[in-house]
Amino acid sequence: MADALRVGVVGAGLIAGCHVRAYTRIPDVVVVAVADPHVTKAEQLASTVGAAACADLDEVLSRGVDVVSVCTPPARHADVTLEALAAGCHVLCEKPVARTLADAVRIQSAAEAADTVVMIGHVSRFEPDHRMARDLVADGHVGDVAMATHSMTTSFPGWSEGGWLARAEESGGPLLDLSAHSFDYLAWVIGSPAVRVHAVAADSPAGPSTYALATVRFASGAMGQVETSWAHPVARGFKAVVEIVGTDGRISWDYDSLNGGAIYLDQGDVIWLDPLGERGYTREIAAFVEAVRSGGPSPVPVADGVAATRTALAALHSLRAGEPVDLTSWEGS
Amino acid sequence: MTGPVRVAILGCAHRPHAWAYARALSASARARLVAVYDEDPALGRSVADDFGATWTDDLPTLLRDGDLEAVVVCSATSRHREHVEQAAAAGLHVLCEKPIATSLRDASTMLAACHEAGVQLHLAFVSRFLPHVRTAKAALDAGSLGDVVGMRLVNRGRPPLPPHYPAWITTVEESGGGALIDHSVHLTDLVRHLTGREVRRVAAETGTLLWDTDVEDCALLSLVLDDGTVVALDPSWSVPAGNPWDYDFSLHLVGTRGSIDLDDLAESVQVVSPRLGAGLRLAGFAEDPDIAMLDAFCESVRLGRPVSPSATGEDGLRALEVALAGYASAADGARPVVVGGGPS
Repeated sequence: MADALRVGVVGAGLIAGCHVRAYTRIPDVVVVAVADPHVTKAEQLASTVGAAACADLDEVLSRGVDVVSVCTPPARHADVTLEALAAGCHVLCEKPVARTLADAVRIQSAAEAADTVVMIGHVSRFEPDHRMARDLVADGHVGDVAMATHSMTTSFPGWSEGGWLARAEESGGPLLDLSAHSFDYLAWVIGSPAVRVHAVAADSPAGPSTYALATVRFASGAMGQVETSWAHPVARGFKAVVEIVGTDGRISWDYDSLNGGAIYLDQGDVIWLDPLGERGYTREIAAFVEAVRSGGPSPVPVADGVAATRTALAALHSLRAGEPVDLTSWEGS
Repeated sequence: MTGPVRVAILGCAHRPHAWAYARALSASARARLVAVYDEDPALGRSVADDFGATWTDDLPTLLRDGDLEAVVVCSATSRHREHVEQAAAAGLHVLCEKPIATSLRDASTMLAACHEAGVQLHLAFVSRFLPHVRTAKAALDAGSLGDVVGMRLVNRGRPPLPPHYPAWITTVEESGGGALIDHSVHLTDLVRHLTGREVRRVAAETGTLLWDTDVEDCALLSLVLDDGTVVALDPSWSVPAGNPWDYDFSLHLVGTRGSIDLDDLAESVQVVSPRLGAGLRLAGFAEDPDIAMLDAFCESVRLGRPVSPSATGEDGLRALEVALAGYASAADGARPVVVGGGPS
């Protein structure tokens, strides 16, 4: 195992588990350490792969790692990423890139100065459904994209440690946490940067601005609509609806129709045949490891992640300002 | 009066609708189609002849017919006002095709004319009559979903371009605009109908991005209602050539105690048949909501007041106000436009 890639994971929450499982599916990759300030969480996740449980990144680095997955809440991304880069590590940083534009820019500057691979965890690009649609567009099957809709709606996610997702100053609410995926995917599919965003939001029992709608204009002239929600009933689950309209055709799908069937058992149990499962994370982590081994380029450049985070932060600003935000000149708020 | 309501169709410029209403009037036990008026004999006859009705180009004589009780106005949008005013002056109740008019001044004048004449003015917002929409409305009215938080509605179609559609539909002076005014009024009306709230702010992005036309074929609107509910509308002419269906309509709503996902494509079977063209087609088996709408119109005429869930001239005016605010926003860098709203 002398040549095995040594991985450290910082943060031991829901997404960290997805990363750890994905790393273990790749030959000659070993997760050596998992860090979390809540040591019992670190121990729980680390024990699934025989890794060491650590309190923080310093401890992880002391174990000797080549790559670091940054799976902390976004307000911690910049400090952790910069320290990992300073230690010469490759970094996979979860989305949104940061909670503030200043932090996002810090990460981008450090990544540009580093000679290691830095990737932003926009897993939507690796989900098989999303990837297929983007490849169809890239291959010219629907002509130039004119309009696109990306909707992700769910109940309030119960997985955040101490409920940090509920604190908008930490998470940004669904318009940052969830819509960062949408803004990145739309810009990637359309192949053009967002130049204007306008958002409206309403409060729900899940919290302030937990249902939001954003309209985006892209430099190409294309327009996009983003719906995001933590306000839906728990029983409804997580739903995505995507539509891409081009000059020559349309691509659309939703999670209701991505249904492989089910196995019903006499005792009342149901095994859902989910066509997606963790395929997105598996492919995302595989692309990252491949880039690390081949010396790059980054499968999701930091600049792309920063652009999506900036659009989401501008959408949050639009809520407060009650006006659209001109992304060609916006410098943060 | 009892028996079927005697109805004439005034104007066939929107022929697909005029023909469908003629069919629905012929199918309804509550109505009797007596005449079809249009200045163009070929157009008027193409609607009248299929249902055994009389075509006429003599509007004054038709309106003086003592037996006539009501009209369905299907002329070009810019001519709704003159036809509604003439019908009202003759004491006839009116069901008017949407959008109500191309300007708020015309719409207000139509409302006033009908009010003064003591006749009812209905708007053909047929989506209210879709059975699933009525179920959703009942659930909302019963409070089962709590307070509405947000909605996303889409109503898309193929572009109504010549030669299959008359040129006026894509001529701003006659239609008021393109996809935004054409389909958003249906969606805005549903938002008002389902929530009982008025629109306070409108922002819109528009573009002519898909077809060879002078009007916008793509539009995205966001609305803020007077209670803070937020709404997204997609009324674009974005159904591509070769699609298995021609129009789609869906409604997504979340409230403080529940949610609604409603899609009218569900009521269909999948067909592959050389008679229907290449590829897969959807054959819808939904009930024709035009019949329910015209039944409600005729029942309203008999009762002397609009019966639920009929839309009125006021509803038509409010939906037009939102569409025109959308155009103003789109022309001003998508800045939100405040609308007055509320009963006048």
